[in-house]
Amino acid sequence: MGDFLRRQRQGVLTLLMLSPGLAGFLGLFFYPMLVTIVRSLRPEGQDVGWTVASYIEFLSKPGSRGVIVLTFALAIASTFLSVLLSVPLALILREKLRGHRFFRFTILIPITLPGLVGALGLLVFYGSRGWINLFVTQILHLEKLNINYTIPGLIIFYLWHYFPYTALTTLSTLEGLDRSVEEAAAVSGATPWQVLRHVVLPLIMPGVLAGSVLTFMAAFGSFSIPLVAGGNYRPLSVAIYTQIQSFTPARWSMGSAMSVVMAILQVIFLSVYMRVLRRPVA
Amino acid sequence: MKLIRQYLQSLLNAKKLLIFTFLASFALYIYSPFMMVLLKSVGKGWFGKLWVPPTLTLDWYDWAWTVGQVPEITKNTMTIAAMAVVMSTLIGIPTGWALGRRRVPGKEVLMSIILLPRMIPPIAYALGVARIFYRLDLIDKHYGVALAHLAICAPYAILVLSSTFEGLDERVLEASSVCGANPVRTFFHVILPMVLPGILSAMIFTFVTSYNELTLTLMTYGVHTQTLPVRTYLAVGEGYWEVTSAMSVLLIIPSLVVLFLIQREVAPEKLVGGFKGV
Repeated sequence: MGDFLRRQRQGVLTLLMLSPGLAGFLGLFFYPMLVTIVRSLRPEGQDVGWTVASYIEFLSKPGSRGVIVLTFALAIASTFLSVLLSVPLALILREKLRGHRFFRFTILIPITLPGLVGALGLLVFYGSRGWINLFVTQILHLEKLNINYTIPGLIIFYLWHYFPYTALTTLSTLEGLDRSVEEAAAVSGATPWQVLRHVVLPLIMPGVLAGSVLTFMAAFGSFSIPLVAGGNYRPLSVAIYTQIQSFTPARWSMGSAMSVVMAILQVIFLSVYMRVLRRPVA
Repeated sequence: MKLIRQYLQSLLNAKKLLIFTFLASFALYIYSPFMMVLLKSVGKGWFGKLWVPPTLTLDWYDWAWTVGQVPEITKNTMTIAAMAVVMSTLIGIPTGWALGRRRVPGKEVLMSIILLPRMIPPIAYALGVARIFYRLDLIDKHYGVALAHLAICAPYAILVLSSTFEGLDERVLEASSVCGANPVRTFFHVILPMVLPGILSAMIFTFVTSYNELTLTLMTYGVHTQTLPVRTYLAVGEGYWEVTSAMSVLLIIPSLVVLFLIQREVAPEKLVGGFKGV
């Protein structure tokens, strides 16, 4: 009996300790999400009645498919490139060459400093009078490149801002790797390339993919970069903000419907990604 | 034999050169925006085909300071970030302790639920936050903006702190009580020194998150609660690139301090860590 009481008291205590976190979750995420869903099902500008008109309007508009495809394309392209950048980078930094600390520090910069400042600088650097174009026109004597406000430009910006997630996880996975496995492979007569291809890469791939999920999540929800540097290309996040900002009266129902679509797409993609990830790597 | 060695040597040099080029372009890629912002902020009459500004000036900083209201905006940003850090830590300590050290049924599920606000893009629930905050009259108040930031800061604090508390060695706590320390003494002399680095890193990360947050801020800010990212965003729209650059340079400084702290005090992997298991 006393044991039961004590266990119950412990349970209540645990619940009490959990409650601040749960309250935060319910009040600041769950409730707003609920409000968004309810709003998306209201007729535009009214507080009563139920309708799916906003969803139908959004999903049937010819531009909407473009918005969704653009959002995915930007996120997938930058995630893919982040893996291509991170693996060689991590392989080099693992060797602890002179100055490796500096490069480790460099990786942290894009996620620690305000992203907007980065976007601003990137716009200047890749702009028509920026160094890239000065290099192209004055040293290579080629035609001026248009990078800003194009899709490749946006991918460059996304990669700049979101690759650290992949790079940091890749690096820490690689450093956790047991070197003796590689040595065993090398002693058995494998060339360095074979060791890399058949031993190191398969072993670090789960870590790399887990890191790339973070890059994907961040890129999919990216707001500040396309807002400043997107020009006419508006991924979902900016398209939602436009509904509130550029229309008078603000189109709350439409924006909310797009938000719900975005959240659902994100959850679907993530669960597919996780399933692929959980599959044992051959 | 000599030929082979020479060949191998040149191959090694080629590899070195390749690595050097790779690292150099990587550094250029990352630092170029800041170089440009820095140059832009001190340059005058930098037009046409010039690599560097013809004359240097500090006028833009003067503008940023007076017209751009940098002191006030820095104060706003810092106040909001401080509130968000304090609130997230207060939430993170008990909840992190429960999740890290106590028996909680369905712990994994609970953890992923708590992390959900960081997985769903903030813009997806930002409209809901805005509507609720309008109704509760929390718009354009420092604590209101901080509360909105809490949605993404608190999960982070809980995550970092629960892994910190989980790492506490039970035997050390037992040893302390065996040696005759009462719980209060154990807490102050044993537990606190052990978890302090974790709490510190949780605070640093929530600070960075709040300091850089734009999405939820745009939905809840007002004239009196402009933060650095909001101000930069508005300034970009206004088109005064030189003044905006000067403002950006001034506002980067606190982040740089934090960056050095992270580099020195805590493992940078923790910045993204915890999600590894997802």
